[in-house]
Amino acid sequence: MPEVEVNGTRLYYQQAGAGPDVLLVHAVTSNQAVWMFAGLVDALAQDYRVTTYDLRGHGASERPQSGYTSAAMAKDFAELHSALGLGPAALVGHSFGGVVAMHAALDYPQTVRGIILSDSFFPGLKHIEPNFGKMNIWADLRATFQKVGVDLGDTVDFTRLFRATAELSPENFKTLEDIYGAFGRGWLRQLPKLAETNCGDEVLEVAGLTAERISGMTQPVIALYDEFSPFLATCEWLKKHVARCSVEIIPNAKHLALVENTPAFTDAVRRHLKALTL
Amino acid sequence: MNSDRILSDLAAVVGQTFPDRDFPPVDLESRAFADLGLASIDLVVLAERLELHYGKKLPFGMFLKGLRERGADDVSLGDLVAFLQHNV
Repeated sequence: MPEVEVNGTRLYYQQAGAGPDVLLVHAVTSNQAVWMFAGLVDALAQDYRVTTYDLRGHGASERPQSGYTSAAMAKDFAELHSALGLGPAALVGHSFGGVVAMHAALDYPQTVRGIILSDSFFPGLKHIEPNFGKMNIWADLRATFQKVGVDLGDTVDFTRLFRATAELSPENFKTLEDIYGAFGRGWLRQLPKLAETNCGDEVLEVAGLTAERISGMTQPVIALYDEFSPFLATCEWLKKHVARCSVEIIPNAKHLALVENTPAFTDAVRRHLKALTL
Repeated sequence: MNSDRILSDLAAVVGQTFPDRDFPPVDLESRAFADLGLASIDLVVLAERLELHYGKKLPFGMFLKGLRERGADDVSLGDLVAFLQHNV
């Protein structure tokens, strides 16, 4: 397997295509398969060298106890960028992947030429985001877990989710696997593994990525937010406070546009990447 | 290349890729997730191993996207064999 040791952790990555460098950074509890299953890697590899990797603790990467803040994962990115000999890259980050992308652009500006955010929530902007904690996808998750007698609470709490999944009986775990289906089973299986780490709490730390730092971003930022996103206040804030930020709303999606509206998401990413890599 | 040969190759590559797992005997009806117990990231790893085996890049993303668009809830080895027959 193509792996690279960075920041004390072994990360699993894949590359396809040739051209300017593009890196795809997945969300918390996801892994790089999401990009392949959406067909985005093949679509972009026609014009770019596309690198996908599993964040620490996720997919086929190593799962250390700690190092899950956006600052630590930005360092992972920077060391991966160096180890693979990449050029200044455009980063596409979904949800927390966008937070890592922003943090990397600020801490390691020579590695990042611009970023595309997909429906990202920033812990450093929690004060302007009224919907954090009441996300629609958390409500969906809570309703599903209630079917096996587990209450996840009404506020987003990754650590609680990971621990609750780790404590499920085999019968209840199987019930949830059947509910989430074949394509969601891998996601579910990852949750109890993350219970062994500090990931749930650390991903919600500001970790130095304050509102002030974000507003000082100098590279281009493309903010793709979903039509029914819980984070439209964040989208508005970015548009107002980040100098080179442009916004596009992806219709018919509520946080997972790359899955919920793959054609529109792919089209938007391709258009914006073309501008970013000129 | 005929489908029996590709299915045989596929079963061998699956076994080599995940040597610590026990897999049941497979046929074209076997499903990657439900029967073999693979997860999505396993398919990324398997895709890479199949590319190494056949010595060429294969458009797995488009294949998987097509399955999703058809509403498939799993990946049958029959679908995978047909994909490989078309692309190797």
